[in-house]
Amino acid sequence: MRRSEFCGENKKILSKFFNARETGILIPLILLCVLVGIMNPVFYSFDNINDVLRSTSYILIISIGMTFVLIAAGLDLSVGSFLALCGLICGICLKSGMSIPLAIFIGLLSGVAGGLLNALVVVKFSIPPLITTLGTMYMARGLVLVITKGTPIYPLPTAFSQFSLGSLCGVPYVVIVTAILALLANWVLKHTIYGRKVYAIGGNEETARYSGINVNRIKASVYVIVTVLAALSGILMAARLGSAQPSIGDGYEMQVITAVIIGGTSLNGGSGTILGTVFGALFMSILYNGMNLVGVSAYWQKFVMGLIIVFAVGLDQYKRRKTKA
Amino acid sequence: MEIILKMNNITKKFGTVTVFENVSLELYKGEVLALVGENGAGKSTLMNILSGTYPDGAFEGRIFINGEEKFFKNPSDSQNAGIEMIHQEISLNLDLTVAENIFLGRLPQRVPGVVDWKKTYAQTQKYLEMVRLDVDPKEPVRNLSTSQQQLLSIAKSLVRYPKVLVLDEPTSALTEQDAANLFSIIKELCSRGISCIYISHHLEEVFEIANRVMVLRDGNVISCYNRADLKVNRIVEDMVGRKIDDMYPKEKVPLGHEVLRVENFTVKHPFMADKNIVENIGFSLRQGEILGIAGLVGAGRTEIANAIFGTLRTTDGEIYLNGEKMNITSPLQAIENGIGLVTEDRKKTGIIPPMNLKENMTISSLHAVSTAGIVSKVSEQTIAQRFFDKLHVKAEGLNTNIMNLSGGNQQKIVLAKWLMKDLKVLILDEPTRGVDVGAKVEIYNIMNELVKSKVAIIMISSDLPELLGMCDRFLVLFGGKVWAEIPRNQVSQEKIMRAATGLEEYFS
Repeated sequence: MRRSEFCGENKKILSKFFNARETGILIPLILLCVLVGIMNPVFYSFDNINDVLRSTSYILIISIGMTFVLIAAGLDLSVGSFLALCGLICGICLKSGMSIPLAIFIGLLSGVAGGLLNALVVVKFSIPPLITTLGTMYMARGLVLVITKGTPIYPLPTAFSQFSLGSLCGVPYVVIVTAILALLANWVLKHTIYGRKVYAIGGNEETARYSGINVNRIKASVYVIVTVLAALSGILMAARLGSAQPSIGDGYEMQVITAVIIGGTSLNGGSGTILGTVFGALFMSILYNGMNLVGVSAYWQKFVMGLIIVFAVGLDQYKRRKTKA
Repeated sequence: MEIILKMNNITKKFGTVTVFENVSLELYKGEVLALVGENGAGKSTLMNILSGTYPDGAFEGRIFINGEEKFFKNPSDSQNAGIEMIHQEISLNLDLTVAENIFLGRLPQRVPGVVDWKKTYAQTQKYLEMVRLDVDPKEPVRNLSTSQQQLLSIAKSLVRYPKVLVLDEPTSALTEQDAANLFSIIKELCSRGISCIYISHHLEEVFEIANRVMVLRDGNVISCYNRADLKVNRIVEDMVGRKIDDMYPKEKVPLGHEVLRVENFTVKHPFMADKNIVENIGFSLRQGEILGIAGLVGAGRTEIANAIFGTLRTTDGEIYLNGEKMNITSPLQAIENGIGLVTEDRKKTGIIPPMNLKENMTISSLHAVSTAGIVSKVSEQTIAQRFFDKLHVKAEGLNTNIMNLSGGNQQKIVLAKWLMKDLKVLILDEPTRGVDVGAKVEIYNIMNELVKSKVAIIMISSDLPELLGMCDRFLVLFGGKVWAEIPRNQVSQEKIMRAATGLEEYFS
């Protein structure tokens, strides 16, 4: 009797662990690491791990913001374009001889402006976020092309590049910045009034409104957050490349959304965690990295990625139906 | 006379709840049978069975048309058998033309796949004439007035040569003149041998149009009168005859000063341009008082609640809180001023499904359990636990998801959300809908406690005995206006029902 009770309790904890949204991707993530490591031991080399973490960071920074947006039942397709635009603005400021901190500040500020534009259209004119951000995605990319006429802006000061290339005790600055941001975002979502309101709006916007939450303000804020983080990612990329590239960040919106969804955040809003997003972003870049190390053709890589998305979302829907029934 | 439709011993259950039992109905050729009853008497459910919305097998009983037994698996089976429903809310496609709407899904074709527009427009004209509607068949429906749309809905249903036409509150959005026109069209259709089932809250209308009147109450047929025997008093009595038992723990509380006064509130009708759903409503509310608002569906009860709470915009009117004029345009402002609203639709505007009980309870009180914007898990847990225990919520614990709870327990969580606040006025819109008897009594007890602590309550309910049992004063709405104001010592179910059906006005 006692024994079976004990087993039951254990089972309960185990099933709770497996059913938690973020752990849904943790098991495949571990399996993936083991598998790639066996097929090509280079995967575990210090340089490769650093490389994976670094390349994950640029995506993850935006994914953190996108987690806020998706939890609030919104969507933002314009992050890739604003990444390019804000990185470019920062680059132009640097080339004109502005000091590095001021240039970065202006780059981030342009992110705030971009986010406010999205927020204004979504909230004030009630245009669906899909349409709004599809529009601003083309607008921002168009501006980048108009300004650069298709050629990159370079060279940027070497001191600026240090931000992306430098490291602390072997860990790249970018990774450290991303980790701090992830911890901060996790804390905001879990422990602040603001975070609670973001979940409430995504969970049921009408109830949130009837409960006295200023729905418009919170909705607007998540678009500002994600665009500022896209700007930050753009600035860090410009630093890494030593130039502002017109086509940079193309298609990032999909990679970012994929990472967040694989990490267990629901497209319907109301649920999701930063931890899940971290796992999701890691899973995607390790999958790419692994496929490269193992020698999978670049043509097949996209196919596999698509398969994973369908599978991840399908699993999510299946779980949801099961809990409903 | 020839019987067109016969429904025999219909019994419908939702889970273990029986909505109605052994209801039988006969409809003669060319007559208008009116169905009357309170909200929730079972009219809509009965019509959903007839229209195939609840398929054969989801209920017990048999349906015969022209003596032949029918089994409807879906709404189109019912339409093929000659039954057409015309719903209260107009279900036309606003962006298509008049002709396209009439022939939607049945457009005449020249060769398969190619529409014969000439024939379409010519035939449209024929149907428009039958309902005396003078519009261009090529006109988009969006440009039509509400009454024109209502007539178009009827024209559309005539395309199939129906035997039975079911009209659900067809005049609710019409002016008096348009309604008179509709009645003469209905009479004309009847003379062509079409039978009508007419559902309405407006008893005067019913007396004008119906050949027979059938009264439903709590899922039973109470009575059926021929036109010659129609008596207002008897019908009203039959409608309200629900027993009042002593499950209402009403406690008398001395009333304090006036907390809330509403003057000239007016709210526009949601889908009719030149009509108001709430018109010039005014009332006052004192500390410790429970004001009951009665009225049938569409009378404007929920709208007045939402107008006070700032979720519906008023076009006219003032609101005073403790004598001070307020300008409330959002729920946030209402809450800051001490007004709370338990909404009618718990799923849509009461709970947040992905959240647990604790989070659902504290969503309006986050500042009270936080310091500098950071939610204190300890104080949140403490206050939530206090109300969880106080309201006897039946659930595993505070971290349970709210969707795992029964309706009554979900409602307690919604109430807890407001009890945490320091309210002056609490508006309860159908607070016991979908709530089991035990939880109902607990909700009444909570109301008693609130008024003892000087809160004023506005209670909106379709359950007349409950309203009579708990309230100190009653406002009865009909067509967006106040038709009666009755103190507790003069009230009766009949009085309320006569005002709610637009028969008489009472003011004392």
